[in-house]
Amino acid sequence: MTPSASLHDATVVLDDHPVLHRVTFEVLPGLTLVRGPNGAGKTTLLRALAGLVPLARGRRQVDGAPLLVGHRPMLLRGLSARANLTFLAAFRGRPTHTVADALVRWGLGGVMDRPMDRLSAGQRKRAALARIETEPEPVILLDEPFADLDADGAARLRESVRAARLRGQDVVLVTHLSDELDGDASRRFIVDAGQVRPA
Amino acid sequence: MIARASLVALRELFAERNQPDGLAAALTFTATLVLLESLAFGPGRATQPDVASGVFWIAILFASVLISTRSFDRDLEDDAIDAIIALPGGREAIYAGKMAALGIVLALVALVAGVFAIFLLDLEPALPWHVALVGVMGVLALLPVSVFTSVLALRVRARVAVVPILTFPLLVPQLVAATQGMSAALSGASAEALGWTGLLAAFALVYTVLGLTIVPAAIE
Repeated sequence: MTPSASLHDATVVLDDHPVLHRVTFEVLPGLTLVRGPNGAGKTTLLRALAGLVPLARGRRQVDGAPLLVGHRPMLLRGLSARANLTFLAAFRGRPTHTVADALVRWGLGGVMDRPMDRLSAGQRKRAALARIETEPEPVILLDEPFADLDADGAARLRESVRAARLRGQDVVLVTHLSDELDGDASRRFIVDAGQVRPA
Repeated sequence: MIARASLVALRELFAERNQPDGLAAALTFTATLVLLESLAFGPGRATQPDVASGVFWIAILFASVLISTRSFDRDLEDDAIDAIIALPGGREAIYAGKMAALGIVLALVALVAGVFAIFLLDLEPALPWHVALVGVMGVLALLPVSVFTSVLALRVRARVAVVPILTFPLLVPQLVAATQGMSAALSGASAEALGWTGLLAAFALVYTVLGLTIVPAAIE
């Protein structure tokens, strides 16, 4: 089976400290869960897959440009949720008419035109996660997506991840929570001290 | 590339419209400097073309650093810039798009500061269109360097100090050319003003191409 994204023998050094050390990791169809303690290198693993950190060693292969939704929203605070998502979808050459509907589904119908800095942390997170629907890329990388979400938002996220899997998108989800989406996962990994191993 | 850069430029302009703190800081700073010039040099010397144009371009130089630093500050909040960097062509589009948008913002600052200086100092430009031309080319020559150094220092902790330290030495030739060109335009030396304008155009071209070549590899 050909991975849609992978790291081969990858080492990432940040501030003279090897955060990932000779890691080989493949993104295969379905949902891949990645867990591990704080500071283990989970976020760096996703950022390496997204091409956001340089590899000191090894190589990265990826089909297209993965969608990374980080621990922080990655949306410009001076713009509204709608403007942010429209910009990002247009940049990828995706249709932008789906943005408003996606934000409504994520419960942001009444605030989608309000600047991001006037939204709560949970609302900003929802806006960021709505990108799963507006930028349907083959590979989706989610970093602690359940953080800041209430029960309704978490349910919406589970539904969105399942829908993405059904559309044939490969999802990698990093979380420190032990049971979220565990039943849906095709593969589970542990990141610890810069190493990745099957759970 | 042009389409993506245009999207980034539009995003930048909308963000600046919603949060005009960079523009406000630059306008306040340039206006204050022009006002202080008239007090420091006195009404006689302040109106001399070389003094007036020198102070004006020093103000615009600082404004270019203020505006570009604030623009990248905004993008670093919530890691917004990473969403673009992660996309194909994103790095080039950030550089080109920010340059285009911040060029418009800096041109606005230069226009307001210029009008303010003309009225406050009671200047009578001998060649007003040449003054405008030098103004436009000066903005185009200064900005690529400010944006370029802001990109290079993107993840540096002491960025607020590092960007000016990197920028100002690189901009000395542009500052000299803009000051000389503006001074010549104010005093009616057409050929001299056009000569300096040509040099500013060359600086703008070189640093724009250099930025587009280096930024994709340098941005982190």
